[in-house]
Amino acid sequence: MSPAIALALWGWGIIVTVDLVSAPQGLLSRPVVASSVAGLLAGDLAAGLLVGVALELYALDVLPIGAARYPDYGAASVTAGAAAALTPNAPALALAGLIGLPLAILGGWTLHLHRRRTAESIHRRLARVAAGEARAIWELQRNGLIRDAGRGVVLSGVGLLTILAAAAFPWSAFPRMALVGGATVAGGLAAALGGALRSGGQGARRRWLAVGLATGLLLVLAQ
Amino acid sequence: MTARWQAIVRLLAVQAAWTYERMTGIGVGHAAAPLLRHHLRSQPREAQLAAIARSAEFFNSHPYLAGVAVGAVVRAERDGTQGPTILRLRTALSGPLGALGDQLVWAGQVPALIGLAVAAVPWMGASAVLLAVIVHNVLRLGLTVWGLDLGLREGLAVGGALQRSWLPRRADDAQRLAAFAVGLAVPVAGWFLLRQVPSVSALSVIGVGVLGGVLAVASPTRSRVTGLRVGLALVAVTLLVVGGAR
Repeated sequence: MSPAIALALWGWGIIVTVDLVSAPQGLLSRPVVASSVAGLLAGDLAAGLLVGVALELYALDVLPIGAARYPDYGAASVTAGAAAALTPNAPALALAGLIGLPLAILGGWTLHLHRRRTAESIHRRLARVAAGEARAIWELQRNGLIRDAGRGVVLSGVGLLTILAAAAFPWSAFPRMALVGGATVAGGLAAALGGALRSGGQGARRRWLAVGLATGLLLVLAQ
Repeated sequence: MTARWQAIVRLLAVQAAWTYERMTGIGVGHAAAPLLRHHLRSQPREAQLAAIARSAEFFNSHPYLAGVAVGAVVRAERDGTQGPTILRLRTALSGPLGALGDQLVWAGQVPALIGLAVAAVPWMGASAVLLAVIVHNVLRLGLTVWGLDLGLREGLAVGGALQRSWLPRRADDAQRLAAFAVGLAVPVAGWFLLRQVPSVSALSVIGVGVLGGVLAVASPTRSRVTGLRVGLALVAVTLLVVGGAR
């Protein structure tokens, strides 16, 4: 991995991390987006897209509502997508499971930590905010963005080290590693299906889900 | 940049200081500040400060619809509405804006666009993903601007205007489209991914996936079984098998 690619991946990882909850929440942190761009930056868009689709199945299970705690797939997808692009002798889908899933949990944990730090920051400025001091409110917003970007710096840094480790790993010594890719896909199907059934409820939405599944199956059988 | 556009830009980062205690309160206050300064410029400084302080109190809504509250509160402040009434307006808006936004965006627009993009990837490649991102951001910006303008126009009457608007109906439609799109994406993505691992039995993977999905929704197991946990467990077990069979 050249320094230019490492720098580009680091920057993209930070953007993706900030996009999840701070700004602009423009779908950049979705695995299929984050990983595809990471693959493109690392020189293999197809590998990034493949990993992105696999991790996206997991992310479809997440409903980021209110105070819910959830994994952060953004930087995790950047790492897994770039690792797949930069490690052609490793099975891409195995990398999605081995790298993407644990890093998503780490990302979710840092998000919780970030929110606690923001709460402490607000407590320190409570009197100024209660007095209507617009500067105190602006400082809180600015610090929140900086803190979230810092989260991206750390997650992307861990990601770059993980990519280096993946590149150095003797994948050829484990000829059946593709099985891990199969397990990753099975877990992804379980996640997407479980999430769809839960949010599908009981009425019309579940019927639409059934229509979608049937259409998808027909499309696959027609290939 | 006009105060309205400053507020719109700030609304794009409305959750930057999100916390469990105040939720989007600080972000809403930050977005409202330029509009309050503009509309209350002829009022005493104490009144301006009190309005800014009120705008940054606890508030919970979907981030894309926070503009509705920002606009309504600014309009109410401009109209000289009493402070306690404005606080009641914020409280009254909190629930509906959160619920409607969650239904429209998190459970509707996002899974619908992502599901359609994932389902189109085998034929369109990355351009399907790019298209989803563009459509989402156009809709997101449009919703933010529409919400802010609705609030500024309606003020205290924004709740009724929201109910009469297209939003509740489109939220239902978006969720139906999302259900269809995710349903479409699951078999297509499974087929697309399993083509890459010909050494793995597709039927076993699908069987395990369906079983995991059922466990994730069945009442005795749904509190403990999530897709991520199923995936991690499967990867860990398979890793042991792969390592052992080396």
